[in-house]
Amino acid sequence: MSDDLHRLVYYSRNRIRGDADVQAAAMRGILATSRQNNARAEVSGALMFNAGCFGQVLEGPRRAIETTFERIQRDPRHGEVSLLAFEPTPARSFANWSMAFVGTKAEDAERYGDIARDSGFDPSLMSADTLYSTLERLAIEEERFAA
Amino acid sequence: MVAAMQAARFADPALTSVALAEMSMPVLILDPAGQIAFANASAGRLFGHADVKGASLNELLARAGVHADTDLLAVSAPRSIPELHLSDGRIVSLAADVLSDGCTLITFDDVSSRVRNAELARRDGLTGLANRDTLAVGLADTLQRGDEAVAVLCIDLDRFKAVNDSLGHPIGDALLRRVAERLCDAAGEDALVARMGGDEFAIVQRGGTQPEAAEALAARLVDLIGRTYVLEGHMINVGASVGVAVAPSDGSTAAILLKNADLALYRAKFDGRGTFRFFEREMDVRMQARRAMEIDLRRALAMRQFHLLYQPQVELAGNRIVGFEALLRWTHETRGLVPPAEFIPLAEEIGVIGTIGEWVLRTACVEAATWPEGVSVAVNLSPVQFHSGKLVETVASALAHSGLAPDRLELEITEGALLNDTEAVLVALNRLRAIGVRISMDDFGTGYSSLSYLQKFPFDKIKIDQSFIRGMGDNPECGAIVRAVAGLGASLGMKTTAEGVETAEQLAAIRAEGCCEVQGYLTGRPISATDAASLLAAQPTHSAS
Repeated sequence: MSDDLHRLVYYSRNRIRGDADVQAAAMRGILATSRQNNARAEVSGALMFNAGCFGQVLEGPRRAIETTFERIQRDPRHGEVSLLAFEPTPARSFANWSMAFVGTKAEDAERYGDIARDSGFDPSLMSADTLYSTLERLAIEEERFAA
Repeated sequence: MVAAMQAARFADPALTSVALAEMSMPVLILDPAGQIAFANASAGRLFGHADVKGASLNELLARAGVHADTDLLAVSAPRSIPELHLSDGRIVSLAADVLSDGCTLITFDDVSSRVRNAELARRDGLTGLANRDTLAVGLADTLQRGDEAVAVLCIDLDRFKAVNDSLGHPIGDALLRRVAERLCDAAGEDALVARMGGDEFAIVQRGGTQPEAAEALAARLVDLIGRTYVLEGHMINVGASVGVAVAPSDGSTAAILLKNADLALYRAKFDGRGTFRFFEREMDVRMQARRAMEIDLRRALAMRQFHLLYQPQVELAGNRIVGFEALLRWTHETRGLVPPAEFIPLAEEIGVIGTIGEWVLRTACVEAATWPEGVSVAVNLSPVQFHSGKLVETVASALAHSGLAPDRLELEITEGALLNDTEAVLVALNRLRAIGVRISMDDFGTGYSSLSYLQKFPFDKIKIDQSFIRGMGDNPECGAIVRAVAGLGASLGMKTTAEGVETAEQLAAIRAEGCCEVQGYLTGRPISATDAASLLAAQPTHSAS
């Protein structure tokens, strides 16, 4: 029961301080650690980000999701974490880890384009679910806020 | 003779060496050069049956996982070491004595359980944090060293009880462990984090520039502890209120710092929770005043300082008194008449409202029973009285004891009573209704979802808050609200009472809007039970009744 597949969706303020290069380096670092940590814990998902916020979908066994989310809650790089969903799910939407820049600025899109390509981020998976499209909309609003 | 022979036998060197070899206490003998010349069987077992002869004490202990930078016996023997932590988890004490031939006798004692029990006594069993005593001792030690800035932060969880009540104690306990982890995470390694009991925690912050460091930590705690928890499939939200006291400005002893951090915490909770406050001198003054009031309030009942006054409720159709609302008054020997707005909230907070409320109920029933048939008495209930679970029994007992007919008792509740634990409150209200008691909705219009509550329970009466009546003269909206509520009451089969009527103009307007009853200074000030009886005696008997 405790290992039931669950899905957790949140978004948070990006509290990484620094210029675009610092941000980019931090993002690559996060993706690398996410892949390592989460593969071990059977957690998969997708991370959207821009200068304003993170939006993340986590999928995996319930306890692993709870542990991962607790680590995120204590991470100073996240601020004002809003939990959008935490519920059992019949199947994974994101079998592998993926990460994408979601934003409106062309230079950022170019800067982070390879991250999405390399991680196999599939935008169609995101738009398949209203929750994900909400997440995407929130992400873009946050970016405007941070600008 | 026998004793002498025994003494002689025990002096036999062969016998003493057997005793040494077989005794349960681990024994080593080091030669004058510091090499192990003898180890008894027990010492062999302690060190894993290894051949220890010829090794130094340091080498032997290193094999067992105890590494020392200096010769353990370099400091002139005899000496002792209270705790050596072996790699297999055991903890032993060591005692060394120099013998007359220059050898050193080493004995060990397994103190594992004693040390662990002492450690357990210093810790909180649920979270593994330090307990209250350990924090106090640690704080006192830090203050005594006096070489660094110290801040004390008292932390209290908001809404923890609701989590415990709704999700159960196992989840509540798991949440407390999670909170403990977050506290340690935020406080850092130099801090001493303790669980003081229940959902109260405290942190002694050492080092850093104060008060800046404490402010940063307090802000981080409010943010971090308030972040959503996902536990056992539940999404849980609690908040943290934090009070801070900094040494030496807010106190130089552990007791004073803890007390002042606690006062600041109280202030933080009072200011709306989910926030932090630093200690300020006037908090102490205010708290002393509150504490003095609390002490007085706790003994007011025993000192017979309470009495009830009764304010007439006039039926507009017949222009006659149909009932009285019982109003609690507290006259203290030095404070004089204390306003209910000052002592009722305090009585609710410190939990004496239950006994005071019961006294009001019983007294009002007894006094109203002396009035003519058909005249009712209204008694206010505090939301807290519903939590005891004894309310219905108390009401039934008060009625039986006084002989007052149940339909002459009217219980007034505010929306606040229905705000929490609504289902349980509705069950109590229905049981009260079943024994014949009438139920009124008091202060109607001051809450925020009154209409939904009218739907949940068929109240006998709606009492329109006096703010609307006072506003009727110059604010047309107030008149409209009174009219709407009167109409609403009529359509739901509920009576409506207008409260706080002070002028003839207001009375005329209320009459025009269709209210059933009025209560206010114009139609009668609060009076004693005896005066109420006289007033009723002077009232002509209604032709219709």
